[in-house]
Amino acid sequence: MSTAQISDFKAIDFSKADARALRLKGENLNNLPDLSKRLTDGLYTEAERFRAIYKWVCENVSNDYNLYFKNKARRENYKGDSLKLEQWNTKFRKILFKKLLRDKRTICTGYAYLVKELASLADISCVVVQGYGRVSSTEIDNLSLPNHSWNAVKLNGKWYLCDPTWAAGIPDPETNAFSFQYNDGFFLAEPRLFAFNHYPIDSKWWLLTDGIPDFDTFLRSPIIYGNAYRNLEMLNGPLKMHHSIKRNETIAIELQLNKALEDRKIGFVIDSGSSQWEAKPYAITYDNKSLEVEHQFNSRGFYDVHLYLDKDLIATYTVEVN
Amino acid sequence: MKSHILIQHPKTKKPLLSIVFFIMALLVLNSGFAQAQITKSKAQNITIKGLVTDGKVALKDVNVIQKGTRNGTVTNDKGEFIFPVPLKTGDVLLFSYLGYETQMIPIKENSTFIKLTLAEDLIEMIGALDPDIPYKSKRKN
Repeated sequence: MSTAQISDFKAIDFSKADARALRLKGENLNNLPDLSKRLTDGLYTEAERFRAIYKWVCENVSNDYNLYFKNKARRENYKGDSLKLEQWNTKFRKILFKKLLRDKRTICTGYAYLVKELASLADISCVVVQGYGRVSSTEIDNLSLPNHSWNAVKLNGKWYLCDPTWAAGIPDPETNAFSFQYNDGFFLAEPRLFAFNHYPIDSKWWLLTDGIPDFDTFLRSPIIYGNAYRNLEMLNGPLKMHHSIKRNETIAIELQLNKALEDRKIGFVIDSGSSQWEAKPYAITYDNKSLEVEHQFNSRGFYDVHLYLDKDLIATYTVEVN
Repeated sequence: MKSHILIQHPKTKKPLLSIVFFIMALLVLNSGFAQAQITKSKAQNITIKGLVTDGKVALKDVNVIQKGTRNGTVTNDKGEFIFPVPLKTGDVLLFSYLGYETQMIPIKENSTFIKLTLAEDLIEMIGALDPDIPYKSKRKN
């Protein structure tokens, strides 16, 4: 079982590092060595120095959705032609670095690259991890090309994972434009939770000693959302997204919360394709942050089952009831 | 007596000569030492100039920073720079330009001009969105 996660740093108060990142809000990227120095000077632990860098990137760099869509379309077009894909990559890389430098706008690799650069300048070992991200906006049954980048960082001799892109913000539901909305769950995330939607090309970046999924298993995982990282220590099961059951049978989802449930409500939104409704769990078992919620299906059909914790969307399963 | 004096004379002269030689030697050594001191202090105040390219064209706005300090400058339109602070042997200059591999160059005794090629970071640019929007199964309708 891996323990390379934020709980290793319980003793560290990141408020000083966060305040530093906030104080330098709006700085430009014209001088990275100087920015790195100003972000980290006077912060004593490696974890705090990295935190200031990571937080600054998350709070100052926008996700450029136009660039994202443009790149996605080209990559799809050229996926059978490695030469054209390579030419596009070269051209796009130049466009992207210019955009990052001038406007502080980028896509995943730009976030991860900037975190790596600033960390390296502060003598912190950090790498860009390339791989596959699997979320509600991507293909989920078939990912033909790598589509996502994140970071691994070495703190006190141990490697950790984080995802600055997904931590920075989400599309505004009204306008679809990027909006900053920092999600702390992606900072030094639990590798087993991370593994639900991050598949690294280089297997050493799973940071798992056992239970490394193969690609098919990865493509069959439930979909988890940013808010899963905010609320969960682990999604214990089911580990498969799709389930075939009979009428009046139940499906049970087991979660390990990162803090006590208290008066937060857990519930489902069920989508049958033609309609959508909220459903209270059929049964809830709760003991020391460990939560099991069940739903019973009484009619035949094919359902998308979305699990919510208050208003936070956590995970999606699909259930076929015969 | 005479012979005695003759014998004595060189004896008395020897220490005198030794002292003279010793003083002269000291002077020579000392001036040599001073010379060395001057060379060393020159080595500790090196003005560094340089040129940064990507192998083909000049790179403008490359940050040239003395590692561990905030001393620095940027390259001009021609990729040239003159480091604003005199450096000494052992100082390290850091060359940073977004999208290119950062390079660190230690200053040597004979460093005066640094001609540097920065290599592009050949990273593949990719991205995936993680919207807070529920997944919707594709259904045949």
